[in-house]
Amino acid sequence: MSHMVQILDIMEKALNGKPMSETDYQLKVFAPKVQEKVREHRIKFDRENPIPQDNSMADEVFEAGLELLLDVGAFCTSSGRTITFTEQEIRESLRRAPSKLYFGEGRDKKALVARAVGDKTPPWCLLGAGGGPCSSDKSFLTLVEGYAEIPETDAITTPALTRVGGMRVRPASPLEVLAAQRNAVLAREACNRVGRQGIPIMNSLATAESDIAFAAALHPKFGMRDSDGYMICCMDPMKVDFARLNKVAVALSLGGHIGMCFGPLLGGYAGGPEGTAVSNVAHHMMGVLTYQSSWLLPFTIHLRYVASSPRDMLWVISTMGQAISRNTHLLSLNLNYTTAGPCTPMCLFETSASVTAAVTAGLSIESLGVATNKHEDRTTPVEPRISAEVGHAVAGMKLADANELVKGLLKKYESKLNEPPLGKSLYECWNAEARKPTKEYHGVIMRYKRAMADLGIDLRPEA
Amino acid sequence: MSADEKILKDLQKAVLGYDSKAAVSAAKAAIAAKVDPLLAIEKGLMPAIEKVGDQFEKMEIYLPELMLAGDAMKSALALLLPLLPKGSKGAKATVVMGTVQGDVHEIGKNIVASMLMAGGFNVIDLGVDVKTITFVDEAERNSAKIIGASALMASTIGSQKDIIDYLVASGKRKKHAVLVGGGPTTKEWAKEIGADGCGMTAVEAVKLANRISKGT
Repeated sequence: MSHMVQILDIMEKALNGKPMSETDYQLKVFAPKVQEKVREHRIKFDRENPIPQDNSMADEVFEAGLELLLDVGAFCTSSGRTITFTEQEIRESLRRAPSKLYFGEGRDKKALVARAVGDKTPPWCLLGAGGGPCSSDKSFLTLVEGYAEIPETDAITTPALTRVGGMRVRPASPLEVLAAQRNAVLAREACNRVGRQGIPIMNSLATAESDIAFAAALHPKFGMRDSDGYMICCMDPMKVDFARLNKVAVALSLGGHIGMCFGPLLGGYAGGPEGTAVSNVAHHMMGVLTYQSSWLLPFTIHLRYVASSPRDMLWVISTMGQAISRNTHLLSLNLNYTTAGPCTPMCLFETSASVTAAVTAGLSIESLGVATNKHEDRTTPVEPRISAEVGHAVAGMKLADANELVKGLLKKYESKLNEPPLGKSLYECWNAEARKPTKEYHGVIMRYKRAMADLGIDLRPEA
Repeated sequence: MSADEKILKDLQKAVLGYDSKAAVSAAKAAIAAKVDPLLAIEKGLMPAIEKVGDQFEKMEIYLPELMLAGDAMKSALALLLPLLPKGSKGAKATVVMGTVQGDVHEIGKNIVASMLMAGGFNVIDLGVDVKTITFVDEAERNSAKIIGASALMASTIGSQKDIIDYLVASGKRKKHAVLVGGGPTTKEWAKEIGADGCGMTAVEAVKLANRISKGT
C-alpha cells in the first residue's frame, strides 16, 4: 500500500521544500503556469453558455488542475518554501478521500455524500450566513434559530460576531478568543431553542480567524462536537502558513472532519474564468493533502462584483464542479455570495442562479453570503431557505436545462450587478418574534416564486 | 523617431510588457541620454501604467499583469525619481500601506498598491499582518501623507480603528490621512472610526488618495 500524506509529512515538506519568495511563487510560478495549462488543454469560456455541457472540457479542466498542483505545489508563507507532491501522492489522496461522511447527532445526524453531474440526490445544504458580520448576541441567535428551522437544513454556517462585551473584536487578542467561544455557545443554544439539538455546525468557528481563538473555542465545554465540521480557510493561491496548520493539527486531534475553504478570485492570480476553474480544481486536491481535508468548500468570488452570480462566475462554478464530480468522489460544497441584499427579488434570483450552477454540476451547497457578505446584520433566514429550496428543486436537472434556466435568471439581474439594491437589514424584513419574514418580504418572495414558476421551477408554496 | 522618442517608447513598452528588466534598461538609457526625468515619467511611464490600470478595470488583464506592470513602473521610478528637483510634480504623495494586524489576506492590498503606483504615488508596501505601531512608525519615517489599511475579515477591521486611535493618542493624526478598505469595510465604518475615506474599489481608493494628495 502506498504512503498516505499526513500532517507530519506536510511539515517536513514545508520545512524542506524549495525556497522561494511569496511574490515569485504567485507571479512567476503560479500565474504563468495556470495560463500554460489553460492553453495546453484548450479550455475556453463560452459567454453564451454559462452552464457548459462539454464532458471532454470538464475532464481537461480536471487534468489541468492536477498538473498545476503537480508542477507548482502549495506555498508555505511561514517557511518561505513550496510544498510539492508526486502524482502518486495526489492520485492516492483522491482515491482515499471519503465519498460519504456523517455529521450531526441523534435525529439530526445525516450523511454528506458525493454527487454526480445531474444527480437526483439533493445537495447537502449547509445553510446560514457564511461567516457574515453580526453585531450582537441577539442578532446571532435570531439568525441561527431561523437557519435551524429551515426544513432542508443539514448543517449550519453561522455568522461571525463582531463585538464582545461592547468592544469590537481584535484579531488574535482575548477579544477574539472570547468572541469565538461565544460563537460556539450561542450557535448550539440557538439550535437547542428550536429543537434541533443534534444539528452540526460546519463553519467552526466563523469568529475565529486566529489559530489560538480556534483552539480555545473548541474546548468541549463550549459545545462543539467532533460531529461538527471544522472549516479552515486557505490563502489564495494555494498558500498555507503555520497558523493554519496549527488549526489542522488541533482539529485532527479532536477527530473532526476538516473542510478547507478556498476562494481563488476570478480576475486574481489565476486570471480569467478558464484559469480560475483550473485553479479551483487544483485547490481541491491541495486541500485534501495540505489541509488534510475530508470535504471541500470552494467559494470563488468575482473580483469586480464580489459575488458568485455574474455570468463568468456561473461558468466557473459549473465547470469546476463538473470537473470534480466527473473525476473524483470528493465531497465539495460551493459557497455563494450575492450582490443584492435581503427583501429584493434580485438577491433571490442571484442565489438561485449560483445554486443551480453548483447543484447540477454535482456539488452540494453552502448558502450564503448576502450583499457581498460585508454589511452587519444584512441577512435573514429567508435567503438560505430559498437557496435550499432551489437546490432541491434542480437536483436531477440536465445541464442543458440548467443552462436555459440560468440564462433566464441572468436576464433578471445581470444588468443591475454594477449597482445592486442593498435591500433591508435583518429586523427591517424579518419578524423575530413570529420567526418569519415581514409582510413586505413575504410579498417579494411570492413574486419571486411566481417568476421561478414561469421559468419552469415550482418551489414550495409559501405559507 | 528621435532618440528621445525611442526611449519614451521603450519605457512604455517595458511597462506594457510587464518587464522590470526592460524598464530599468530604458530608465538607464533615458538618464544616459539626458532625457528630462520628468518627461520620462510623464510621457513614458505614466501613459503606459494608466493604460494598464484601465485594462485591469475592464478585466481585460488580471491581477498578475497589474502587479508585474506596477513592479516595472517602480523599478524605473527608483532610478528616475531621485533625479527630479525637490518640489517637482513628478511624484505624488507617499502612501504606506498594508494589511492590518492579525490579517494575512493580501490580494486587495496588492490591487490597491498597484493601482496607486499606476496613479503615480510612491507606495511603500508593508505587507500583511502589520502591527498598528508599524503603520505609524513607517508613515513617520517616510513622511507619508497617507496610510492605507486593508482588512478582509469582520474580525480584523477593528485594527483599522486602532491605527487612527494611535495617531490621535500620539498627537500625529493631522500628519497622516488614513484610508481604509477591504471586504467588510463600509463608508459607515470609515466614518465611525474617523478615517479619511473608504475605498470600496481600487479605483475609488486612488481617487481618494488623489484628493488627499492635492489637499482638496
